[in-house]
Amino acid sequence: MPDYNELLQQVVELIRPLAPPERPVAADTDLVADLEFDSLKVMSLVEQVEEHFDISVPLNILPDIRTVKEFTVQLQRLIEGSAP
Amino acid sequence: MEATPTEHKLALRPGDFESLSEALDYAARGETGANFYNGKGQLESVLPYAVLRDEAVEIARRLIGLNLPRGSRIALVAETCPDFLRFFYGCQYAAMVPVPLPASIHLGGHKSYVAQLRRLLLNCRAEVAIAPSMFLSFLTEAADGLPLSFVGTPERFAEMPAARGPIRPSGPDELAYLQYTSGSTRFPRGVMITQRTVMSNLASIIRYGVRVRPDDRSMSWLPYYHDMGLVGLVLSPMASQVTVDYLKTRDFGMRPRLWLALISQNRATVSFGPPFGYELCAQRLREETAGQYDLRSWRLAGVGAETIRPEPLSRFAEILAPSGFDPKAFSACYGMAECSLAVSFSPLGQGIQLDLVQAEAMAQSQEAAAASADDDAAKSLVKCGEPLPGYEIEVRDGEGHPMPERRVGTLYVRGPSVMSGYFGEETLTRDVLSTEGWLNTGDLAYVVDGSIVITGRQKDLIIINGRNIWPQDLEYIAESQPEVRTGDASAFSVTAPNGEDKAVLVIECRESSAAKRNELVGRIQALIRQDLGVDCFIELVARNTLPRTTSGKLSRSGAKNDFLQRVADGKTEQPGDSDDFYLLRRKAG
Repeated sequence: MPDYNELLQQVVELIRPLAPPERPVAADTDLVADLEFDSLKVMSLVEQVEEHFDISVPLNILPDIRTVKEFTVQLQRLIEGSAP
Repeated sequence: MEATPTEHKLALRPGDFESLSEALDYAARGETGANFYNGKGQLESVLPYAVLRDEAVEIARRLIGLNLPRGSRIALVAETCPDFLRFFYGCQYAAMVPVPLPASIHLGGHKSYVAQLRRLLLNCRAEVAIAPSMFLSFLTEAADGLPLSFVGTPERFAEMPAARGPIRPSGPDELAYLQYTSGSTRFPRGVMITQRTVMSNLASIIRYGVRVRPDDRSMSWLPYYHDMGLVGLVLSPMASQVTVDYLKTRDFGMRPRLWLALISQNRATVSFGPPFGYELCAQRLREETAGQYDLRSWRLAGVGAETIRPEPLSRFAEILAPSGFDPKAFSACYGMAECSLAVSFSPLGQGIQLDLVQAEAMAQSQEAAAASADDDAAKSLVKCGEPLPGYEIEVRDGEGHPMPERRVGTLYVRGPSVMSGYFGEETLTRDVLSTEGWLNTGDLAYVVDGSIVITGRQKDLIIINGRNIWPQDLEYIAESQPEVRTGDASAFSVTAPNGEDKAVLVIECRESSAAKRNELVGRIQALIRQDLGVDCFIELVARNTLPRTTSGKLSRSGAKNDFLQRVADGKTEQPGDSDDFYLLRRKAG
């Protein structure tokens, strides 16, 4: 099972290049309100996450995610679910 | 698993059928069909038309078993998957009306997606609603308390009892489907299309638009709930017995290069996209890998669904030249759901055809005077071709008088594939469709050498990344904030210097604290992103700034002109996004 804090760190690193420059990215950062993620950016992020963790992210989890933390928690579940 | 073949023995029939079920009966005699690829580009399921037909008839029997009247609406969350096709055609055999619902959801958008589905279910008075398991929880929530006969997944529907006896498919004058025209649906418009109407458009597209050949193969990542995705890349391949390969829109969004990979791998010949799709794809290509595809088979790269700018297409063609992409494969198309799909195609094999006009003269006098090639101030506009046979077009001035070639006005069309109207919306229908059959497209255009050239939009519709957005939806979001009164927000689109459309909201606001103003702007922008997935400029202005008609209604075109004037004068205050504003200012100034 991946450690939450470690995972959060990795997720933040993946998000940073997609976020507006100089904008802080932390657990309680709101992806839509604070980082201005539109649907194309969201797709880019999901793609990177899928590549990085070798998982498949189902579309239907997105509507209930707002913050970096919520995203990380969902990823943690997905990674656990896909572990052999 | 093996994909359905391109080559096949069944003689080509170019859409000359009375109904969609009749077309599928014929396609089912061959070996072609639909193939579905996953986000890794691997083949995930194969659905030959022969199997599709049998499975659709099975579904039809279960639909008939519900004892609903003919023409009942069956809402289908239109995810790109075999079940959508089974149910869509199942409705045809059962003489029910399929209603594709959007399968597009945004980060944090749970509530707004459910609300959207609910409005559509209510607007079309659906009797049955089906969603793949991934979307079921949203659909169930949306249908809560509504009097539907069935809400569930295809798997659960398969447990319903099947009716015995003969089936009577939907006939030429019955509705083939209802198509909602905008992704956002505060104000839904469900376009009613009969079998005769859609078959007429399909036959025209197949014969005169795409000019289908027996060895064609289509490829599509377009959503099934859009007219181009549904009519152009689901119904049209089937009605011409052509194999088609599908990639989910989300998988294209994540990995646009899969579009090219699948065309290469399957030697596809026909594929369509909005300009932004080509742009997204080109952005993700690196020079060192842009030569690894084989796109020589791609004979028709259709472009439509939003205003076509030539530059992104040139970039796409240039970077993919090493892969054998032929820029002559581009064809610009014009159409809309209200016409089933297509009104015109630019001639095949000639690439994007430009008309050079004197920009200044056009802005001043509504005359699209030809410019010479060495005129630096000339504007290149894309020719969308002559109307398909059976279509008449008129460009009319403000008083409704037809105008000669090269005069810009509102484009009206009349032809055999125009809708019967908007479902349950007589007033909206009367606003756009005359008793003589003329449809007001809401687009501004001129005609040159018989070819349609779109110059802008008169209707208020905003199109961003191929997605239709009604200004009312943006205004509603603003007006739902406690600081904003109803009727104090006006939304419209402006064209940025790079040719992209941008949504703009001008809001009258009393609040004077800068911090609170910034917070309000940020909040509304976030809501818009979450509901509609797009960015929006927001300008807060003083009370009584927005122009109103004598009856007190807001004038969006007036608000837009005033906004552009303020931008030109450097008088806008825009928190954030200052680069974009700077660009706009340069253009306006």
